[in-house]
Amino acid sequence: MEKIKVAYNQKSVDQMAAIMAQLNLNTVCREANCPNMGECYKKKTATFMIMGSQCTRNCRFCNVINGRPQNLDPNEPENLAQAVEKLNLSHVVVTSVTRDDLPDGGAAHFAKVIEAIKRRNPDVTVEVLIPDMKGDPASLDMVIAAKPEVINHNIETVADLYEQVRPEADYRRSLDVLAYVKRTAPDILTKTGIMVGLGETYQQVLQVMDDARDCGCDIFTVGQYLQPSEAHVSLKEYISQETFDAYEKAGYEKGFRYVASGPLVRSSYRAQEALVNEKESALHRK
Amino acid sequence: MENKIQMPKMSPSMEAGVLVAWNKELEEPVREGEVLFEVETDKVVCEIEAPCDGVLAEMCYSEGDRVKVGETVAVIQER
Repeated sequence: MEKIKVAYNQKSVDQMAAIMAQLNLNTVCREANCPNMGECYKKKTATFMIMGSQCTRNCRFCNVINGRPQNLDPNEPENLAQAVEKLNLSHVVVTSVTRDDLPDGGAAHFAKVIEAIKRRNPDVTVEVLIPDMKGDPASLDMVIAAKPEVINHNIETVADLYEQVRPEADYRRSLDVLAYVKRTAPDILTKTGIMVGLGETYQQVLQVMDDARDCGCDIFTVGQYLQPSEAHVSLKEYISQETFDAYEKAGYEKGFRYVASGPLVRSSYRAQEALVNEKESALHRK
Repeated sequence: MENKIQMPKMSPSMEAGVLVAWNKELEEPVREGEVLFEVETDKVVCEIEAPCDGVLAEMCYSEGDRVKVGETVAVIQER
Protein backbone atom coordinates (compact mmCIF):
# COMPACT_ATOMS: atom_id res chain seq x y z
CA MET A 1 0.00 0.00 0.00
CA GLU A 2 1.45 3.34 -1.02
CA LYS A 3 1.54 6.00 1.66
CA ILE A 4 -0.03 9.44 1.29
CA LYS A 5 2.36 12.33 0.52
CA VAL A 6 2.27 15.54 2.54
CA ALA A 7 4.33 18.73 2.64
CA TYR A 8 6.67 19.49 5.54
CA ASN A 9 8.24 22.85 6.19
CA GLN A 10 10.71 22.89 9.06
CA LYS A 11 10.70 26.67 9.44
CA SER A 12 6.93 26.82 10.04
CA VAL A 13 7.13 23.90 12.45
CA ASP A 14 9.96 25.57 14.41
CA GLN A 15 8.08 28.87 14.59
CA MET A 16 4.96 27.18 15.96
CA ALA A 17 7.00 25.05 18.37
CA ALA A 18 8.68 28.18 19.76
CA ILE A 19 5.34 29.85 20.48
CA MET A 20 3.98 26.70 22.14
CA ALA A 21 7.10 26.16 24.26
CA GLN A 22 7.16 29.77 25.40
CA LEU A 23 3.57 29.52 26.62
CA ASN A 24 3.87 25.96 27.90
CA LEU A 25 1.19 24.66 25.53
CA ASN A 26 0.73 21.42 23.59
CA THR A 27 -0.74 20.82 20.17
CA VAL A 28 -2.45 17.63 19.08
CA CYS A 29 -0.85 18.28 15.69
CA ARG A 30 2.51 17.29 17.09
CA GLU A 31 1.47 14.75 19.70
CA ALA A 32 -0.57 12.83 17.13
CA ASN A 33 1.95 13.32 14.32
CA CYS A 34 -0.77 14.82 12.16
CA PRO A 35 -0.17 14.60 8.40
CA ASN A 36 -1.53 18.13 7.92
CA MET A 37 0.91 19.77 10.32
CA GLY A 38 3.03 21.17 7.48
CA GLU A 39 0.05 22.78 5.76
CA CYS A 40 -1.67 24.09 8.89
CA TYR A 41 1.49 25.48 10.52
CA LYS A 42 2.39 27.25 7.31
CA LYS A 43 -1.01 28.93 7.51
CA LYS A 44 -0.35 29.66 11.19
CA THR A 45 -3.13 27.52 12.55
CA ALA A 46 -2.91 24.74 15.12
CA THR A 47 -5.15 22.66 17.35
CA PHE A 48 -4.37 23.07 21.02
CA MET A 49 -4.37 20.06 23.31
CA ILE A 50 -5.03 20.99 26.91
CA MET A 51 -4.60 19.27 30.28
CA GLY A 52 -1.19 17.79 29.51
CA SER A 53 0.20 15.37 26.96
CA GLN A 54 -0.47 12.13 28.87
CA CYS A 55 -3.81 10.43 28.31
CA THR A 56 -5.57 8.17 30.82
CA ARG A 57 -6.97 5.98 28.05
CA ASN A 58 -5.13 3.78 25.62
CA CYS A 59 -7.10 3.82 22.38
CA ARG A 60 -5.52 1.59 19.78
CA PHE A 61 -5.58 4.13 16.94
CA CYS A 62 -4.15 7.12 18.77
CA ASN A 63 -0.56 8.34 18.93
CA VAL A 64 -1.02 10.38 22.10
CA ILE A 65 0.90 8.80 24.96
CA ASN A 66 -0.96 6.85 27.61
CA GLY A 67 0.50 7.60 31.00
CA ARG A 68 0.16 9.21 34.39
CA PRO A 69 -1.68 12.47 33.91
CA GLN A 70 -0.03 15.75 34.86
CA ASN A 71 -1.40 18.36 37.27
CA LEU A 72 -3.56 20.95 35.55
CA ASP A 73 -1.69 24.15 34.72
CA PRO A 74 -3.74 27.02 36.17
CA ASN A 75 -2.08 29.39 33.67
CA GLU A 76 -3.08 27.31 30.68
CA PRO A 77 -6.36 29.13 29.89
CA GLU A 78 -4.65 32.54 29.86
CA ASN A 79 -1.59 31.25 27.98
CA LEU A 80 -3.79 29.68 25.35
CA ALA A 81 -5.77 32.89 24.97
CA GLN A 82 -2.47 34.70 24.43
CA ALA A 83 -1.36 32.20 21.78
CA VAL A 84 -4.65 32.76 19.94
CA GLU A 85 -3.91 36.47 19.94
CA LYS A 86 -0.30 35.99 18.85
CA LEU A 87 -1.25 33.72 15.98
CA ASN A 88 -4.09 36.05 15.07
CA LEU A 89 -6.52 33.14 14.81
CA SER A 90 -10.15 33.80 13.98
CA HIS A 91 -11.28 30.26 14.80
CA VAL A 92 -9.71 28.11 17.51
CA VAL A 93 -9.95 24.38 17.97
CA VAL A 94 -9.20 23.07 21.45
CA THR A 95 -9.02 19.41 22.31
CA SER A 96 -7.62 17.49 25.26
CA VAL A 97 -6.35 14.21 26.46
CA THR A 98 -8.97 12.12 28.26
CA ARG A 99 -8.81 12.77 31.99
CA ASP A 100 -10.72 9.96 33.65
CA ASP A 101 -8.74 10.77 36.82
CA LEU A 102 -10.54 14.10 37.28
CA PRO A 103 -14.03 13.95 38.81
CA ASP A 104 -15.42 16.31 36.15
CA GLY A 105 -13.36 14.82 33.30
CA GLY A 106 -11.68 18.20 32.88
CA ALA A 107 -14.92 20.06 32.12
CA ALA A 108 -14.21 23.01 34.40
CA HIS A 109 -10.79 23.48 32.83
CA PHE A 110 -12.32 23.34 29.35
CA ALA A 111 -14.78 26.03 30.40
CA LYS A 112 -11.99 28.24 31.76
CA VAL A 113 -10.09 27.91 28.50
CA ILE A 114 -13.12 28.85 26.39
CA GLU A 115 -13.87 31.84 28.63
CA ALA A 116 -10.26 33.04 28.62
CA ILE A 117 -10.07 32.86 24.82
CA LYS A 118 -13.30 34.82 24.41
CA ARG A 119 -12.38 37.41 27.02
CA ARG A 120 -9.11 38.22 25.29
CA ASN A 121 -10.33 37.69 21.71
CA PRO A 122 -14.03 38.63 21.64
CA ASP A 123 -14.50 37.99 17.90
CA VAL A 124 -12.89 34.59 17.86
CA THR A 125 -15.07 31.51 17.42
CA VAL A 126 -14.25 28.48 19.54
CA GLU A 127 -14.61 24.81 18.72
CA VAL A 128 -13.96 22.21 21.39
CA LEU A 129 -13.28 18.58 20.67
CA ILE A 130 -14.09 16.92 23.96
CA PRO A 131 -13.65 13.44 25.41
CA ASP A 132 -16.83 11.66 26.50
CA MET A 133 -16.42 12.89 30.12
CA LYS A 134 -18.01 9.55 30.99
CA GLY A 135 -21.26 10.99 29.63
CA ASP A 136 -21.80 12.94 32.86
CA PRO A 137 -24.44 15.65 32.26
CA ALA A 138 -22.99 17.88 35.02
CA SER A 139 -19.62 17.92 33.25
CA LEU A 140 -21.15 18.52 29.84
CA ASP A 141 -23.24 21.37 31.33
CA MET A 142 -20.04 23.17 32.37
CA VAL A 143 -18.66 23.06 28.84
CA ILE A 144 -22.00 24.12 27.35
CA ALA A 145 -22.28 27.05 29.77
CA ALA A 146 -19.00 28.48 28.45
CA LYS A 147 -20.75 28.84 25.07
CA PRO A 148 -18.33 27.53 22.48
CA GLU A 149 -19.69 27.84 18.93
CA VAL A 150 -19.04 24.17 18.16
CA ILE A 151 -18.88 21.09 20.39
CA ASN A 152 -17.30 18.11 18.73
CA HIS A 153 -17.12 14.63 20.11
CA ASN A 154 -15.73 12.01 17.79
CA ILE A 155 -17.43 8.63 17.37
CA GLU A 156 -14.11 7.59 15.73
CA THR A 157 -15.27 4.30 14.18
CA VAL A 158 -18.28 2.08 13.49
CA ALA A 159 -19.99 0.32 16.41
CA ASP A 160 -18.68 -3.14 15.53
CA LEU A 161 -15.04 -2.03 15.71
CA TYR A 162 -15.18 -0.39 19.15
CA GLU A 163 -13.69 -3.38 20.93
CA GLN A 164 -10.62 -3.34 18.67
CA VAL A 165 -10.22 0.42 18.28
CA ARG A 166 -11.65 2.16 21.38
CA PRO A 167 -11.90 -0.55 24.03
CA GLU A 168 -12.38 1.90 26.90
CA ALA A 169 -15.14 3.85 25.17
CA ASP A 170 -18.74 3.07 24.36
CA TYR A 171 -20.50 3.75 21.06
CA ARG A 172 -23.83 4.54 22.69
CA ARG A 173 -22.28 6.79 25.31
CA SER A 174 -20.53 8.84 22.65
CA LEU A 175 -23.82 9.25 20.78
CA ASP A 176 -25.49 10.25 24.03
CA VAL A 177 -22.90 13.03 24.52
CA LEU A 178 -23.88 14.49 21.13
CA ALA A 179 -27.58 14.11 21.84
CA TYR A 180 -27.31 15.73 25.28
CA VAL A 181 -25.46 18.78 23.94
CA LYS A 182 -28.00 19.33 21.16
CA ARG A 183 -30.96 18.86 23.51
CA THR A 184 -29.52 21.22 26.12
CA ALA A 185 -28.15 23.90 23.81
CA PRO A 186 -29.71 23.72 20.34
CA ASP A 187 -27.77 26.81 19.22
CA ILE A 188 -24.39 25.17 19.66
CA LEU A 189 -23.33 23.31 16.53
CA THR A 190 -22.54 19.67 17.22
CA LYS A 191 -19.98 17.77 15.26
CA THR A 192 -18.59 14.27 15.06
CA GLY A 193 -16.25 12.30 12.87
CA ILE A 194 -14.89 8.90 12.06
CA MET A 195 -11.76 7.35 10.64
CA VAL A 196 -12.08 4.91 7.76
CA GLY A 197 -9.75 2.23 6.48
CA LEU A 198 -10.02 0.12 9.64
CA GLY A 199 -12.02 -2.61 7.93
CA GLU A 200 -15.48 -1.08 8.26
CA THR A 201 -18.05 -1.49 5.49
CA TYR A 202 -19.77 1.27 3.53
CA GLN A 203 -23.09 0.38 5.12
CA GLN A 204 -21.62 0.57 8.62
CA VAL A 205 -20.41 4.11 7.90
CA LEU A 206 -23.88 5.10 6.73
CA GLN A 207 -25.26 3.62 9.96
CA VAL A 208 -22.97 5.90 12.02
CA MET A 209 -24.29 8.85 10.00
CA ASP A 210 -27.88 7.82 10.71
CA ASP A 211 -27.15 7.40 14.41
CA ALA A 212 -25.43 10.80 14.57
CA ARG A 213 -28.32 12.46 12.74
CA ASP A 214 -30.73 10.87 15.23
CA CYS A 215 -28.81 12.83 17.88
CA GLY A 216 -29.29 16.04 15.89
CA CYS A 217 -25.63 16.22 14.92
CA ASP A 218 -24.87 19.09 12.50
CA ILE A 219 -21.39 18.43 11.12
CA PHE A 220 -19.77 15.16 10.06
CA THR A 221 -16.16 14.41 9.10
CA VAL A 222 -14.65 11.33 7.48
CA GLY A 223 -10.91 10.82 7.10
CA GLN A 224 -8.41 8.10 6.32
CA TYR A 225 -6.95 6.26 9.33
CA LEU A 226 -3.15 6.31 9.27
CA GLN A 227 -1.36 3.84 11.50
CA PRO A 228 1.02 5.65 13.88
CA SER A 229 3.22 2.59 14.47
CA GLU A 230 3.25 -1.18 14.22
CA ALA A 231 1.93 -1.39 17.77
CA HIS A 232 -1.29 0.37 16.79
CA VAL A 233 -4.43 -1.14 15.28
CA SER A 234 -3.75 -2.20 11.69
CA LEU A 235 -4.60 -0.11 8.69
CA LYS A 236 -6.75 -2.36 6.50
CA GLU A 237 -7.06 -0.24 3.36
CA TYR A 238 -6.68 3.16 1.77
CA ILE A 239 -10.16 4.34 0.89
CA SER A 240 -10.58 5.68 -2.66
CA GLN A 241 -11.48 9.29 -3.41
CA GLU A 242 -14.70 8.03 -5.06
CA THR A 243 -15.79 6.43 -1.80
CA PHE A 244 -14.94 9.59 0.17
CA ASP A 245 -17.03 11.56 -2.34
CA ALA A 246 -19.88 9.08 -1.92
CA TYR A 247 -19.73 9.50 1.89
CA GLU A 248 -19.89 13.25 1.48
CA LYS A 249 -22.92 13.04 -0.79
CA ALA A 250 -24.64 10.57 1.54
CA GLY A 251 -23.93 12.82 4.52
CA TYR A 252 -25.63 15.80 2.91
CA GLU A 253 -28.58 13.64 1.85
CA LYS A 254 -29.00 12.57 5.45
CA GLY A 255 -29.28 16.19 6.51
CA PHE A 256 -25.92 17.19 7.95
CA ARG A 257 -25.34 20.92 7.53
CA TYR A 258 -21.70 20.38 6.67
CA VAL A 259 -19.74 17.30 5.67
CA ALA A 260 -16.00 17.01 5.12
CA SER A 261 -14.83 13.73 3.65
CA GLY A 262 -11.39 13.00 2.22
CA PRO A 263 -8.17 11.13 2.91
CA LEU A 264 -6.56 13.93 4.92
CA VAL A 265 -9.68 15.26 6.59
CA ARG A 266 -9.23 15.42 10.37
CA SER A 267 -11.84 16.74 12.74
CA SER A 268 -10.02 20.04 13.07
CA TYR A 269 -8.71 20.30 9.50
CA ARG A 270 -10.05 23.51 7.93
CA ALA A 271 -12.62 23.48 10.72
CA GLN A 272 -13.53 27.09 10.14
CA GLU A 273 -15.02 26.27 6.75
CA ALA A 274 -17.94 24.52 8.43
CA LEU A 275 -18.70 27.59 10.49
CA VAL A 276 -18.33 30.06 7.63
CA ASN A 277 -20.58 27.85 5.56
CA GLU A 278 -23.09 27.76 8.39
CA LYS A 279 -23.10 31.55 8.80
CA GLU A 280 -23.65 32.01 5.06
CA SER A 281 -26.56 29.61 4.94
CA ALA A 282 -28.05 31.27 8.03
CA LEU A 283 -27.91 34.59 6.16
CA HIS A 284 -29.63 33.01 3.16
CA ARG A 285 -32.36 31.63 5.39
CA LYS A 286 -33.14 35.10 6.78
CA MET B 1 26.57 30.49 4.03
CA GLU B 2 25.88 26.79 4.49
CA ASN B 3 22.44 25.68 5.60
CA LYS B 4 22.29 22.12 6.93
CA ILE B 5 18.95 20.32 6.65
CA GLN B 6 18.50 17.65 9.27
CA MET B 7 16.18 14.67 9.53
CA PRO B 8 13.18 16.28 11.24
CA LYS B 9 11.54 14.82 14.33
CA MET B 10 7.99 14.76 13.08
CA SER B 11 6.43 13.23 16.18
CA PRO B 12 7.55 12.81 19.78
CA SER B 13 8.11 9.09 19.26
CA MET B 14 10.00 9.34 15.95
CA GLU B 15 13.62 8.16 16.12
CA ALA B 16 14.51 7.80 12.44
CA GLY B 17 13.00 8.19 8.99
CA VAL B 18 13.67 6.55 5.66
CA LEU B 19 14.97 8.81 2.90
CA VAL B 20 12.82 7.54 0.04
CA ALA B 21 13.65 10.03 -2.71
CA TRP B 22 15.81 12.95 -3.70
CA ASN B 23 13.92 15.56 -5.71
CA LYS B 24 17.01 17.59 -6.59
CA GLU B 25 20.46 16.73 -7.94
CA LEU B 26 23.88 17.72 -6.63
CA GLU B 27 24.82 21.29 -7.62
CA GLU B 28 21.24 21.96 -8.72
CA PRO B 29 19.80 25.37 -7.78
CA VAL B 30 16.90 25.24 -5.29
CA ARG B 31 14.36 27.80 -4.23
CA GLU B 32 12.86 28.17 -0.77
CA GLY B 33 9.76 26.00 -0.46
CA GLU B 34 10.73 23.57 -3.23
CA VAL B 35 10.76 19.90 -2.30
CA LEU B 36 14.29 18.76 -1.58
CA PHE B 37 13.77 15.16 -0.53
CA GLU B 38 11.08 12.78 0.73
CA VAL B 39 11.02 10.99 4.06
CA GLU B 40 8.84 8.04 4.94
CA THR B 41 7.50 7.90 8.48
CA ASP B 42 5.14 5.32 9.95
CA LYS B 43 2.13 7.33 8.81
CA VAL B 44 3.00 9.17 5.62
CA VAL B 45 5.64 10.29 3.15
CA CYS B 46 6.72 13.87 3.92
CA GLU B 47 8.01 16.16 1.22
CA ILE B 48 10.73 18.17 2.95
CA GLU B 49 10.85 21.72 1.65
CA ALA B 50 14.05 23.74 1.19
CA PRO B 51 14.36 26.42 3.90
CA CYS B 52 16.21 28.91 1.64
CA ASP B 53 17.35 29.71 -1.90
CA GLY B 54 20.72 28.28 -2.94
CA VAL B 55 22.48 25.33 -4.49
CA LEU B 56 22.31 21.74 -3.25
CA ALA B 57 25.92 21.35 -2.13
CA GLU B 58 25.86 18.01 -0.29
CA MET B 59 23.66 14.92 -0.32
CA CYS B 60 24.66 13.03 2.82
CA TYR B 61 22.54 9.91 2.32
CA SER B 62 21.22 7.76 -0.51
CA GLU B 63 17.68 6.81 -1.34
CA GLY B 64 16.61 3.92 0.88
CA ASP B 65 18.82 4.92 3.82
CA ARG B 66 17.36 5.01 7.30
CA VAL B 67 18.47 8.28 8.88
CA LYS B 68 18.40 9.12 12.59
CA VAL B 69 16.52 12.22 13.72
CA GLY B 70 18.89 15.19 13.83
CA GLU B 71 21.44 13.83 11.33
CA THR B 72 22.25 16.17 8.45
CA VAL B 73 20.64 14.94 5.23
CA ALA B 74 21.45 17.82 2.89
CA VAL B 75 23.52 20.98 2.78
CA ILE B 76 22.42 24.00 0.79
CA GLN B 77 24.94 26.66 -0.10
CA GLU B 78 22.82 29.77 0.41
CA ARG B 79 22.82 32.69 -1.96
